[in-house]
Amino acid sequence: MSSYRRNYRHQIRALIVKELRQIMRDKQLIFLLFFMPVLQLFLYGFALSPDVDHLRLGVIDHAASPTSREAIAALVENGVFDLTAAGGTEATLAKNVRDGNLEAGLIVPPEFEREIKHGTTTSMQVMLDGVDANTAGIANGYISQIISTFNRQLVTGSQISRELISPQISFAYNPGLISSWFFVPGVIALVLNLVSTLVSSAAVIREKDSGTLEQLLMTPVNSLQILLAKIIPLSMLLMITVLVCLLISSLVFHVPFRGNIFLFLFVSFLAILVGIAIGIALAAFSQNQRQSLLTSFFVNLPVIQLSGAVAPLESIPEFFQFLSLFDPLRYYVTCVRAIILKGAGLEAIWPDVLALAAFAVILLALSTSKFGRQLA
Amino acid sequence: MRRIFSQAGKEIAQFRRDKLTLALAFLLPSVAMLLYGYATRLESKNIPVAVRNFDSGALSRKYIDTIFANGQLVNAPWHDPVHNKFTASSVVSSSAMGPLDLGEAKATITIPPEFSRKIRQGQASDVQVIIDATDVNNARVIKNSIIATTGYFLRSQKLSQVKNLVTTKVRLWFNPGREEALYVAPGATAVILWIFPCLLSALAMSREKEQGTILQLYASSITSVELVVGKALAYTAIAFVQALIVISMAMALFGIRLVGDPFIYLISTTVFLASSVLFGLFVGTRANSQSAAVQMVATTGFTTALLLSGFLYPLRNITYPLSLICNILPARYFVEASRNAFVRGSDFSSQIHLPVALAICAAVLLVGASRIMRRMQLSGGG
Repeated sequence: MSSYRRNYRHQIRALIVKELRQIMRDKQLIFLLFFMPVLQLFLYGFALSPDVDHLRLGVIDHAASPTSREAIAALVENGVFDLTAAGGTEATLAKNVRDGNLEAGLIVPPEFEREIKHGTTTSMQVMLDGVDANTAGIANGYISQIISTFNRQLVTGSQISRELISPQISFAYNPGLISSWFFVPGVIALVLNLVSTLVSSAAVIREKDSGTLEQLLMTPVNSLQILLAKIIPLSMLLMITVLVCLLISSLVFHVPFRGNIFLFLFVSFLAILVGIAIGIALAAFSQNQRQSLLTSFFVNLPVIQLSGAVAPLESIPEFFQFLSLFDPLRYYVTCVRAIILKGAGLEAIWPDVLALAAFAVILLALSTSKFGRQLA
Repeated sequence: MRRIFSQAGKEIAQFRRDKLTLALAFLLPSVAMLLYGYATRLESKNIPVAVRNFDSGALSRKYIDTIFANGQLVNAPWHDPVHNKFTASSVVSSSAMGPLDLGEAKATITIPPEFSRKIRQGQASDVQVIIDATDVNNARVIKNSIIATTGYFLRSQKLSQVKNLVTTKVRLWFNPGREEALYVAPGATAVILWIFPCLLSALAMSREKEQGTILQLYASSITSVELVVGKALAYTAIAFVQALIVISMAMALFGIRLVGDPFIYLISTTVFLASSVLFGLFVGTRANSQSAAVQMVATTGFTTALLLSGFLYPLRNITYPLSLICNILPARYFVEASRNAFVRGSDFSSQIHLPVALAICAAVLLVGASRIMRRMQLSGGG
């Protein structure tokens, strides 16, 4: 019995060495494991930014008075708006907003100064390009805040005077509102899922494609050993991928790591197992690599889109929120953000860790049994 | 000319035979439209906010009601992470950060004792607000919402000491209800009609290489340009069917209507679909196997269309050297064309540069693909 066990372990070790050699020789796999994650991190980190600033503003100042100039200066002062066009007719201003050359247009009425002097309320007209609903909403909020500060200054003569209730607002976890701090942890999760799925399906389907799987089966090893010998080296390599991503996140994007590194590595390991399981399932259901790659589109698209890695899930329709509960990546994204940015421990994220672990166990069991049955 | 059409005919016949490719061509774009259209919302609604009220007066209760009145923020129960024994990492236990640490609320509001009494006496009172800023965009949304409702509360309770001499009448053009679907759906058609047509044509081209059938084409009298144009014609026709499906889905599900100049939209769509197909052929000529082609399309086409096209966030936010790449991406121009057609309602003359830019992209890709084709032909023959 003990000699059988020793044998078993020897066989697996031999298979693992073979796997590692094969992976290291395969340029496509190396590209997937190390270059694609780096590329994606850079792209997402530098390309995605929801900042609302430097909106192009066109102004027509019919009043041309000191107060109207002050009001315009207040709008432009903190970089939310850039004064791009001044003067001209209202028709050309409107056309510029309509054609998308300006994001906002401001018209100050001729009676502006007179009405303020008389103590009556005067109204400026603002046109805001609403195509981008999100940006327009935030810009609209900024305008009303700037104008209300301006009003206080106008009436009391000082900016510091305050209302009876003034919320003292502070931003936790990301006080500088740096957008890459939000996207980079999400993309680490997304890329890890993508890479582990693609790499594991490629490693399994390659044997199927070239017929070497049958040769392996003629040796004394069984199908479970074959799979174990694929899962162990791949998960080790993918853990290196995780560390590379983490390094880029802190060195390039300066995202702080506030949590426990071991907890992070543990949930990442679970996520890797989930990805590998999906990959093995893809390989089991397909005849060749082309098929498994194409089928992976059907799986990865919903998995990524419903994970909340790129856009928040809070306001999507209820049915899709429900669907997202079946998305393992969703739980990993939550864990990664919570650990990295919030320094959350198990007491805060245990439901997500548990869900991820359940997915890992169930998916691994399903995919290995499907694969085993195919070989038998 | 006849050779081009017979090449196109052969391509269509081959395309119809493979079930997986058919599903990929028509089912996947529809699924993608559903997912991108419904599951992309940048601005959160029903944001959970926890409130701790140390005041016993009526005014503070009224203030809290006002904060939650417009439905953007919803009241969440206040829990503290009491059992802190698992980790030492939880910075504060019973502070205002508790619900944020647990992920149960996106913001906490703490109202100090004596709030109502102080304000009735005309003394200012501080309300402490802490916002979870991991999601930067929604941190701004929450901040704006709280400031706006506080201002409204002060005015409605006649507590404001400042008369608003200057007001603004803001009109939101094109999308007065600020429906995000109007922003997302037209952009999604552009992303989808970039990815899937080029995936199909890349597969077709690399299949010829992988299976060696390309050698027969080398031996025939067809030139490399004719070959590329023939394939491009066939797959652009298929792309049109995909476009019909995706665009009618977007119109049916998200209520967008063609409000812009239809003629220029049609031209832009045609040139855009052609450039997508040509990009696929270009990738296909470079790739040595079908799986390599799929991966090249997935890494270059997919991510760039999603990230550098202005689909999610404004293009001007993209960091400088990266922003240069946007200019050579057809998807970027079509996102604009499609928003012009469905939301902005632009006329012909204001957007003539879009089909021109798309046509330049298509021409460059056509020349590129045929060049590589010809070079392979020559080296293969020699």
